[in-house]
Amino acid sequence: MKFGGTSVATLPRWQNILELVASRRAEGARVLVVVSALSGITDALKQLCRHGDHGQRVEAAKAIVQRHYELLEHMQLALPDTLNDRLGDLSRLADDGATALGELAWQAQVQAHGELMSSALGAAFLSHSGLPTHWLDARECLAAVALPNQNERTRLLSAMVEAKPDPALNARLAALGEVFITQGFIARESKGRTVLLGRGGSDTSAAYFGALLKAQRVEIWTDVAGMFTANPRQVPGARLLQRLDYEEAQEIASTGAKVLHPRCLSPLREPRVPLLIKDTNRPELDGTVIGPEIRAHAPSVKAISARKGITLVSMESVGMWQQVGFLADVFAHFKQHGLSVDLIGSAETNVTVSLDPTENLLDSDAIAALATDLAKVCRVKVIAPCAAITLVGRGMRSLLHTLSGVLAEFGQLRVHMISQSSNNLNLTFVVDEEVVDALLPHLHDLLIAAGALRTDDSALFGPSWQTLYGTGEAPGAVAAWWRDAQRQQLLELAAETTPRYVYHLPTVRQQARALKSLAAVDRLHYAVKANTHPAILHVLAAEGFAFECVSPGELKAVGAIVPEATPLLFTPNFAPREDYVYALGTRATITLDALHPLKHWGELFRGREIVLRMDLGRGLGHHEKVRTGGSGSKFGLPLDQLAAFLQLADAHGATVRGLHAHLGSGVLDASHWGEVYVQLASLAERIGSVAFLNIGGGLGVPSHPGEAPLDMVELDRVLREVKAAYPQYQLWMEPGRYLVADAGVLLARATQQKDKGAFSYLGIDTGMNSLIRPALYDAWHEIVNLSRLDEPATALYQVVGPICESGDVLGTDRRLPEAQEGDVILIAQAGAYGKVMSSHYNLRDEADEVVIDA
Amino acid sequence: MKRAMEKDVSNTIQPRLTQVFRFVRCNYTDGVAELVYAFDDDDELIERIRFPNAPAVPVARVAAFDAALKLLHLIAGISYYKAGVPPQIEVADGPLDDATAELLDALYLHGLAEFAYRNGLDLRGRIAFPRHDAETTTSSRDAAAPAVGMLNLRKRTLVPIGGGKDSLVAVEAIKAIGGEATAVWVGNSALIAACAERTGLPMLNIQRELAPGLFELNRLGAWNGHIPVTAVNSAILAVAAVLYGYDSIAFANERSASAATLEYDGQQVNHQWSKSYAFEQLLGNWLHTHVASDLDYCSLLRPYSELSITRAFAKLTSYFDVFSSCNRNFRLLGPKPADRWCGQCPKCHFVFLALAPFLPKPRLLSIFGRNLLDDESQAAGFDALLEYQDHKPFECVGEGAEARAAMYALSQRPEWQEDALVARFRSEILPQLDASLLALEPWLEPSPEQRVPVRLQPALKTIG
Repeated sequence: MKFGGTSVATLPRWQNILELVASRRAEGARVLVVVSALSGITDALKQLCRHGDHGQRVEAAKAIVQRHYELLEHMQLALPDTLNDRLGDLSRLADDGATALGELAWQAQVQAHGELMSSALGAAFLSHSGLPTHWLDARECLAAVALPNQNERTRLLSAMVEAKPDPALNARLAALGEVFITQGFIARESKGRTVLLGRGGSDTSAAYFGALLKAQRVEIWTDVAGMFTANPRQVPGARLLQRLDYEEAQEIASTGAKVLHPRCLSPLREPRVPLLIKDTNRPELDGTVIGPEIRAHAPSVKAISARKGITLVSMESVGMWQQVGFLADVFAHFKQHGLSVDLIGSAETNVTVSLDPTENLLDSDAIAALATDLAKVCRVKVIAPCAAITLVGRGMRSLLHTLSGVLAEFGQLRVHMISQSSNNLNLTFVVDEEVVDALLPHLHDLLIAAGALRTDDSALFGPSWQTLYGTGEAPGAVAAWWRDAQRQQLLELAAETTPRYVYHLPTVRQQARALKSLAAVDRLHYAVKANTHPAILHVLAAEGFAFECVSPGELKAVGAIVPEATPLLFTPNFAPREDYVYALGTRATITLDALHPLKHWGELFRGREIVLRMDLGRGLGHHEKVRTGGSGSKFGLPLDQLAAFLQLADAHGATVRGLHAHLGSGVLDASHWGEVYVQLASLAERIGSVAFLNIGGGLGVPSHPGEAPLDMVELDRVLREVKAAYPQYQLWMEPGRYLVADAGVLLARATQQKDKGAFSYLGIDTGMNSLIRPALYDAWHEIVNLSRLDEPATALYQVVGPICESGDVLGTDRRLPEAQEGDVILIAQAGAYGKVMSSHYNLRDEADEVVIDA
Repeated sequence: MKRAMEKDVSNTIQPRLTQVFRFVRCNYTDGVAELVYAFDDDDELIERIRFPNAPAVPVARVAAFDAALKLLHLIAGISYYKAGVPPQIEVADGPLDDATAELLDALYLHGLAEFAYRNGLDLRGRIAFPRHDAETTTSSRDAAAPAVGMLNLRKRTLVPIGGGKDSLVAVEAIKAIGGEATAVWVGNSALIAACAERTGLPMLNIQRELAPGLFELNRLGAWNGHIPVTAVNSAILAVAAVLYGYDSIAFANERSASAATLEYDGQQVNHQWSKSYAFEQLLGNWLHTHVASDLDYCSLLRPYSELSITRAFAKLTSYFDVFSSCNRNFRLLGPKPADRWCGQCPKCHFVFLALAPFLPKPRLLSIFGRNLLDDESQAAGFDALLEYQDHKPFECVGEGAEARAAMYALSQRPEWQEDALVARFRSEILPQLDASLLALEPWLEPSPEQRVPVRLQPALKTIG
């Protein structure tokens, strides 16, 4: 059991260790505890080593000794001799300085004292607390080996140990007792000098001991429950990895995960000792078990990671073609300038390598000097800043076919290099660093949606980080309205007829009120294209919403329902002239997004106030969909036509009163709307006549269970901030899906089952004719068997409809209870773009619509 | 429909048809200055400037304070004047002395030159602040040049912080000589606040609230465009210096700020005229003769080129993750480079190019989060900096020859020369240039032009 610096720094944390060790003892295990130095002590010792001045060294040593006295006092322990000896040794070392031992050996000796002292202190505490614990000197057990590529510094300060099972040591310890404590980070070399194991040293020590003793397992106790499918800071929906094999875990650790140092897995591989990562504060969580290759499982991507700050050096020359020794010469230059090469990609006339962001790279002339040398033999290009995005999983090549959606995403980026090693564990893309933050959560979602990251396999994947550690309300804490309260009524409605849409008006009101909590927004419009059901229009009119329409048909539908005074917005795209003529005859405010209407029908708009919809193009920044949106999207006026538009408006006496931009759909990052507002405001400042900015909608509604919802508090904060910067403009929004998606469900009935190879198809009585989003957008809708909601989900279904299209699939790989003909199947989140996009295709009857208001 | 529009404007002001711009009054109570303006007989436009934790104005400084406040009133009026550009200017409390009128005539003409160019206006002959006529002037010479003495202001400096590199170089220069200084800024900017905090200096954040009526005027079709905001900020700081007690205001305007952006119909148009040496001299001298002989207004960076300054800034690594010169993202702030640098505007282009010769390439790219010189879509922007196929952009950026020197230096460096725009420079632009004029070194030589007071001269020397 290994405990890090913060775990050994205070009395409560030691009490925690005591409990954990005692519980392992209770299970009948013998325990070896490996500890780091008290947090901050290793740094203090390093600092001590840097002092040239004798007096400063002695002072520094005193302060370090004092830290240990204070902890002892908290523990109400007398100073044990073992610790007293160590403290004395440290003072002597500080007093003597490096001269006698030699600089590096002295440094190693000084720094080793952090662990020597913490372990002595721990032995005293555990023994005193009723758990007799033997102090073991790690240097007696771990023998460093000399390797040919080592110099004196690496030999002493980042040593390696060859740890083979040692039955003699096992026997010796067995004779001594049941509980031991020893030091991480330190070992001894052949001349008998103390050496250090370098970064991640304590984890590595634990692994060495695990291998030496052929332990039942090695437990790394830390501040998080284990490894995740992505860095939780970047992807809060990242899932806990419950089982990994050594190679996968090492790959994940070396491509980004900080929880475990990659070095500490290889000692355990041969003796097949499993390693368990556990959260000290939450010992009840399962953690990650890393062991030998796991018995047959469907291949799955296990994790996606990103390393930033990478510099690529691309070398191009025909001179390298079939040229003996060319690469050897090239790589000699990297060595000469102290740059360590990571990835390598090569073609006949190009070799590209990646460099990690070291201090040497960032703050010295190394890269300039390297380029100067290389330029003598080839064309050099230094490409930076890049990021390496790595997908990790055993059998990566067999997963390629599932990755098409993911690869398509990379197709829209500048990919500088792709690397796949022969161990078949990874697939790495090197891309521009600026895209990574937005890309990573998106790729994580895509991997899940594509079935490449099989989060449905509960043996491998645990809960999300958000669920385990997230702040705020735990997602999924509020059960969907259809799950409990309305379930019976839904079953009755389904008994009357299926397929049918059911809308829950209280949910619409609840979403409307969430939007109304955005204090910075001056006017909210409901984008009625999402759902034009009269009852929903009534509810939103009563909630004080204005309405946004895109066709005369929508204007008529809304006009028939909402009060006379309710403001309307007409925001069509490629609408014919007569649509504008019609809309100009209503009270709607008209939005234009092209030059043509003003150029050719300008007189229609004379004396009118209009809104201009802009295409903010790539200037918008990181959202890849919008970025490619630019000229590839048919919406909005490009920035370079703004001047022409304003001239036309002026010529026809039309006043540009508002600016509008709409980003895209399903956006869950609050900062996007702030960016849109600021960009529109900076344009509006040049126009003068503008009074309001319509920043569109696109507020995302998470579809997968456990996905984090849009943070309305954060959105409120962002909008207040940008509004404060440009208070002169009114802020308008026009959400659609956000208001109605969760309020609607589609009820259908199971008709039959078919097994085909490994697949099991569950047929229901409607499909893409009622709900086209899965086929059109690869949208994911939760699907449940409402008749058997409480039964265990043992089957894995492809849920399909009756339409003669192979794309008529509503959900793939869904874990559901075994279904029977006639079961009511509910498709959730169907309130937006459901019924309004349905069709008579195959001349099947359309689903009807029912409203619940209770 | 036409009738509807006419009705719309008949009972409200049409800014562009106004006849008189009036400086109505200004007053100061409890840390708040109120500056009042009006067009014709229309509603008053009231701007407020808030000085935090303001002490009472010491009796000995009341006259100086009033003089500084009056100048602030006159200078800040430019934001409102430009909405209508009426033919007549009226100052309610009477005509100005010659020196004051000359300062304001020059500021309104040159400071609004870009505004005029963009709007197709010609302000020459249109701007005339009322002066004492010849008779009055001879009868009371005091009014023309009031004599003021020393205020014995405390020997410390107000350093305005802009969030960009220049003011940070100035701050570090004063810190290097152990000078006492306060980081000061006007308005709300999280970016500037973050930079100011990083300096470790005491901070002073003055708030400026534009008259709400100005936005209404804009809606009604006011003229709009660039105003010389540095002049307004300078006048605010002059008031602050007297109020809190500072003997110097040290801006960070560099040499190239004096160069014109373009010439248009015989008139020099300089986007940053209020950062020029001409304005520095006018205001500095005016403060000496009208406010206090020991209140110095200067720029610490005046002798230096942009390249000298970027070279100095390249050593100030502690600011790399907070500063930004980009004015597209100016009002926002975030931890990622893309939050602070839009990567599209002339400022981003110039700062990137000017820092490049002095920083390891990977370090520079980590500041911006991307490589602007390896992005072909940015060619037009860099061409404008190099004054190739386009005139200089209307932004506070260095001179074309300076940008060409930086680009030339990069084109000779193997780690840069294959980047798209550097390669393009080598193959397309360089052959058309005289390489003997492209050396970097001459740009690193300071020029003699500066008016830095004796007390701060040692700071000046630390920069070059």
